[in-house]
Amino acid sequence: MLADVHLQMRVGQMVAVVGPNGAGKSTLLKILAGLWRPTSGRVWIGERDIHRMPAKERARQIAYIPQQWLDSIPFTVTEFVRMGGYAHNASRQSVPLSELLTQLGLGEYADQPLMRLSGGERQRAILARCLYQGSEVVLLDEPIANLDLFYQLEVLVTLQELAKRGALVVIAIHHLELAMQYCPTCLLLHEHRVRGFGATADVMNETVLQEVFRIPVKRYQDPFNQTLRLSYEWEEYRT
Amino acid sequence: MTRDGWWFLALSLLFVAACLLELSLGPMRIPFAQIPGGIWRYLHGGRGINDVVLGDIRLPRLIVAALVGAGLAVTGTALQAIFRNPLADPAVIGVSSGGALGAVVAMGWSVTSRLPWVTPLAAFVSGIAAVELTYRLATRNRQTSVYSLLLAGVAINAFCSALISLILTLSPLQTMQQMLFWLMGGLDGSTWLHGWVIGAVVMLCSLLIGAYRKELDLLSIGEEQAHGVGVHLQRSKRAVLLLSALLVGVCVSYTGVIGFVGLMVPHVLRMLIGPSHRKLLPASALGGATLLLCADLVARMAFLPIELNVGIVTSALGAPFFLYLLNRQQGSHSGGRRGSHERT
Repeated sequence: MLADVHLQMRVGQMVAVVGPNGAGKSTLLKILAGLWRPTSGRVWIGERDIHRMPAKERARQIAYIPQQWLDSIPFTVTEFVRMGGYAHNASRQSVPLSELLTQLGLGEYADQPLMRLSGGERQRAILARCLYQGSEVVLLDEPIANLDLFYQLEVLVTLQELAKRGALVVIAIHHLELAMQYCPTCLLLHEHRVRGFGATADVMNETVLQEVFRIPVKRYQDPFNQTLRLSYEWEEYRT
Repeated sequence: MTRDGWWFLALSLLFVAACLLELSLGPMRIPFAQIPGGIWRYLHGGRGINDVVLGDIRLPRLIVAALVGAGLAVTGTALQAIFRNPLADPAVIGVSSGGALGAVVAMGWSVTSRLPWVTPLAAFVSGIAAVELTYRLATRNRQTSVYSLLLAGVAINAFCSALISLILTLSPLQTMQQMLFWLMGGLDGSTWLHGWVIGAVVMLCSLLIGAYRKELDLLSIGEEQAHGVGVHLQRSKRAVLLLSALLVGVCVSYTGVIGFVGLMVPHVLRMLIGPSHRKLLPASALGGATLLLCADLVARMAFLPIELNVGIVTSALGAPFFLYLLNRQQGSHSGGRRGSHERT
């Protein structure tokens, strides 16, 4: 599925993994999470090969949130978030769970089943579980898919803060503009290979995007808030 | 007391009531008041008619029924979590039909009249073998997907059933009757020895499955989620499957195939006390024991003096329940579309 991936990521970075459907984003995250074994090659965290670490020890350092629509989970929010502590032995907890829930605006839902929450609140609960796990590396597969604008931005800002506090955050994301705004580093995958890795503004230049996504792209600065924007010209391309 | 506490209390009361009825009712009725005295006298060598009926027949039968019911329900709970499927039950991993095949072969081989322990042993060994085969068939590159496991289970079940039918057809009439009777599942002829063996295995396996309660919680959400927070997928799934196979294998080997207990009990209790396995596993054990005792009461009392096989009663209960579940699931899937049907 993937070939020739040689990367080094550091704590404190927030990395967007972008690329067309089928480029290998999810595959890469699954391999980084230790869920799938690469047929060749290794994944190191510090000095250690993550595929040779005991599962709990790995989870204390790497949290992985798959892309899954959790719409039939009967557990309450508290029970669900507490599961993040699985890899830790009972007594650890730097942040008390109730405080964490309040921080993320989930206080009033603490005893509600997860499946009664709206999509956005559910994503918050997943983030809460992720924070409760307290890992230094956080891998999320499409954390903002299916969310409305408010929750998209909320999730990204929360992750940004997590990276500022010294975590390595890696997210697979389809929304290129949001990736440019919130992720200083970007990994562009194309046809199972790395097409670019580095500062987002450099990686996502017009020529490369046009080639990878097969659509003419223009980049410009938003006069309203000075962020980088993309405009696509589907019609021109089709004719 | 919390809401869950009340449920546990209610379950315990039901269980005690079922026990008392199981001891009291039968071709010979023994009043409740005489039960403690009768058991006491039996344990101290008393051999009055009531003492013997209680101590030699009804008490071992009660113990076997309670343990088998508890064991089947605990296994069903665990398997439903692993398969993330409310319709999973001990039969899906092939242990029941594998065990049945072994037992039928042993009976056809006709050594069982001289060596009565051969049937349970054969059932146990072939039950475990069927699970192992199911598991191997579903495993590729050291990963076991639950879908492959379900499909492999269906295939193994079908294959075993075909072989059982073949053996039944080829057997002399008397052997065939014996086989059919065993296949329908029964608790008659339970002895203290059965009680001890099943008791040891059910207790041990249930406790060990209980040790995996957190893993079961996580697996019931999804394998990738469970992996993400540090569950060793392959190890937990394999351990729980093997424990389930051992537990059900031993039960099936003594009592024959008793279906649907492992399906119904966890499902009902999940609705009452929630999905957390810390509470669900003990509640299922209690509920399973109670259900099988009640089913056994019906089996013994419904057509007096003829005694039904308890498997017939559980299946008669289970089949409508299965349909109800199916209906509920379909309802939840098509709920959103109902409006458009009404308009047309």
